Amino acid sequence: MLRYLIRRLLWAVLLFVAVTIVTYIIFYAIPADPARLACGQRATPECIKRAAHYLGTDRPLYFQYYKFFGRLMPFSFRGGPHLKEPRLGRSFTNRQSVNSVVAHAAPVTASLVFGGAVFWMLIALPVGILSALRPRSLLDRIAMVFVLVGISAHPVWIGLLFAYFFGFKAGLFPITGYSDFFAHSGDTSAGPVQWAYHLVLPWATFAILFAALYVRMIRANVMETLNEDYVRTARAKGAPEWLVMRSHVLRNALLPVVTMLGMDIGIALGGAIFTESVYGLPGLGKTAITAIDSFDLPTTQGVVVFATLVIIVFNLIIDLLYAVIDPRIRLS
Amino acid sequence: MSRKLWLSTVLVVIGLFSVLAGGASAKSSHAGATGGTLTVDLLSDVDYTDPALDYLSTGWEIEYATCLKLMNYPDANGAKGAQLVPEAAAGFPKVSNNGKTYDFTVNAGFTKFSDGSPVTAANFKAAIDRDADPKMQSPAVAFFSDIVGSSKSPVSGVKVKGNHLIINLTQNAPDFVARMAMPFFCAVPTNLPHDPNGVLAPPSAGPYYISEHTPNKSITVKRNPNYKGKRPHNLTQINYVIGNSQAATYLRAQQGATDYAAGGIPSASYAEAASKYGVNKAQFWVKPQLGVRYLAFNHDRPEFKGAKGALLAKAVNYAIDRKAILAQGGYLGGKRTDQILPPGMAGFRDANLYPLKGADPTTAKKYAAQSGVASGTGIEYYTSSTAASAAVGQIVQYDLKQIGLNVNIHQFARAVQIDKEGTRGEPFDITSEGWIADYADPFDFINVLLDGGNLHASNNNNVAYFNDPAYNKQMNSAALLSGAPRYKAYSNLDVAMMHDNPPWAATSNFNDRILLSSKVGCFTFNATYSVDLAAICLK
Repeated sequence: MLRYLIRRLLWAVLLFVAVTIVTYIIFYAIPADPARLACGQRATPECIKRAAHYLGTDRPLYFQYYKFFGRLMPFSFRGGPHLKEPRLGRSFTNRQSVNSVVAHAAPVTASLVFGGAVFWMLIALPVGILSALRPRSLLDRIAMVFVLVGISAHPVWIGLLFAYFFGFKAGLFPITGYSDFFAHSGDTSAGPVQWAYHLVLPWATFAILFAALYVRMIRANVMETLNEDYVRTARAKGAPEWLVMRSHVLRNALLPVVTMLGMDIGIALGGAIFTESVYGLPGLGKTAITAIDSFDLPTTQGVVVFATLVIIVFNLIIDLLYAVIDPRIRLS
Repeated sequence: MSRKLWLSTVLVVIGLFSVLAGGASAKSSHAGATGGTLTVDLLSDVDYTDPALDYLSTGWEIEYATCLKLMNYPDANGAKGAQLVPEAAAGFPKVSNNGKTYDFTVNAGFTKFSDGSPVTAANFKAAIDRDADPKMQSPAVAFFSDIVGSSKSPVSGVKVKGNHLIINLTQNAPDFVARMAMPFFCAVPTNLPHDPNGVLAPPSAGPYYISEHTPNKSITVKRNPNYKGKRPHNLTQINYVIGNSQAATYLRAQQGATDYAAGGIPSASYAEAASKYGVNKAQFWVKPQLGVRYLAFNHDRPEFKGAKGALLAKAVNYAIDRKAILAQGGYLGGKRTDQILPPGMAGFRDANLYPLKGADPTTAKKYAAQSGVASGTGIEYYTSSTAASAAVGQIVQYDLKQIGLNVNIHQFARAVQIDKEGTRGEPFDITSEGWIADYADPFDFINVLLDGGNLHASNNNNVAYFNDPAYNKQMNSAALLSGAPRYKAYSNLDVAMMHDNPPWAATSNFNDRILLSSKVGCFTFNATYSVDLAAICLK
């Protein structure tokens, strides 16, 4: 198990280095000069030269990457080995600390993704199971229509419709915006209630696509498991139907769903770009879009680093869980 | 007779009553009470709220309300709002005979900084010293490099003597006073840190101050309790909400959840907003900005070089359909033009040089033939990757096909386009560009964009690579003039260049399209800084 864990960790480090190098190379290949952008429309050669030096873009690519990687490491050997705070650098466009930008954006995305996951599982579980138990029934057909719409409709379109009908016309929810979960004293615009109130529409929008996919998967898994020998045996032995469902069907059918849920949450935490853009949520996705638009390499790289780490960590957890559940993986 | 008189009296009374009632209702639609909070939606955050670093129009709009400057633009619409007036200065500066020394008398007893500290001449020197500090990396350097010792902080050419701020320049620069009205040079506390990352909520001495800025989330602007000056300061507070999409902002403005769509609304919604609220009546305002969109002809390329190139440039000016091109910017997105200087800029004189209502292919073909350009000649056209830019490219492609030119469109991300077209030797013939005034002076258009003496290997603003020694000389002479002769010289240059040897085909001037909520009572637009936040009031 230890060897397996070490192997996975080494792969994770390699993947992390590869992703950050690729991001650097892509930015380097694009012929846009951040120093020129920093100096504005009346950029003079002197200003650009100074800005390039300040931003470090006047140095070779490998040196820039070396500096970036050195800042990111939680330890340093300069002046004797010691621990330090990993730093993602400063934004090219507004010179804000990227650590702070990511730290402010990540909870927004996490709120959207985890809440959305609860939403989509609340839809997908009952609909998927009921569809499997009554295949080709009216409910099953309605569920399939929902699946088709959910998969086909773009989240931006769904988001705009929700914002228009539930936000603007009905006035039931805010059209856009985000409210912090933790309120400062006397701040009535934040707190758990306001937080959830502002996120209802984004959660619903974000959940629809995944709910559609999960309904389909749960239906297929449950139907497949229902035909297994051990389910037939349990029924033949006279086990009550609810016990058969709980202990034999769902336990086995939902195993791959849990795995997929972990991976999907990991990927989505990297930035739910469309939902965040429609609802003006200042999360990682929106931050990344703004940063890419303005050729802000440190901020883009910061989001990439964070997203990569989250995906690596989630994949690692899933791999380890799988190894615990299925010894064949560990042995291979 | 008496019955007639009685009837007339009744009619007169009714008439008077109607006039008074009408007057009252008109007044109520344009006036409002003091106080209240204005909510403003911004698509994305300002780059900085530190005056030494901020170089975006949305930030300057805020600083127009928060900054105290030596000279400023009055809170007025139209031409009156474009005339510089003294603000913290007691009057216009005394200028030495050689035009190199400016002596401002600072008289700002009517205000203090929002933190309670008084305003003196030293606060204006502090702003220049801060801009000049290499550590700050301020984009302001382009606007004061002619001050003696400007490359080091403190700047040796700026001295404080009592309430006098004396600035020594390396050369005569009549646009210097206009430059000093830029937010870069507004008063700052002498102890404001020289922090290269910018101060998020610097104290200020204008009618308002920024009390809080949470990047990418919100900006809170409050009334400066120490300001007793003449500028309006109606609102108690202004809350910026950052990050709402344009579609959401449009809905929020209609709902009254936001009072000013500072980040705009979707392009396709402007026509609807105009028909719903009327134009320039109460809620939807369309105002001209000091800016120009143009197609720059690369004079380094054989097609646009020399006398024959000038004829081809004229041909293109006749061939393009400015009406169709402007339509791609959305409803009321601008006003067609054929000149370098925008209307509203001192020195602008409407010369009617080229067709504005549509293309004139007949005249265009005549000039194209005179230029000797071969039919089927390829023209490399650079533009940005937005949908509207692509559509404009296709219109230009069609228009120039009529005179035998084959336009090849190359689209780039905006930052890439700026880099490519700014590099001398880049193989393009025409590039699509735009320019908004940094300050209200024709130098900022003519000399900055067309003086061939300023060409470099890269990072050029003169993307037409226009370098005519005769015009360069005239530009340099005009830059040294002041008052009416200065504007006349620039006016003549504008018309002469566009008529005889067009460096560009100017297509349109920008409009600012402003959507307000029904709660907004008073509204003033300044051509340099857009919406005058200090003058806004709520009903």
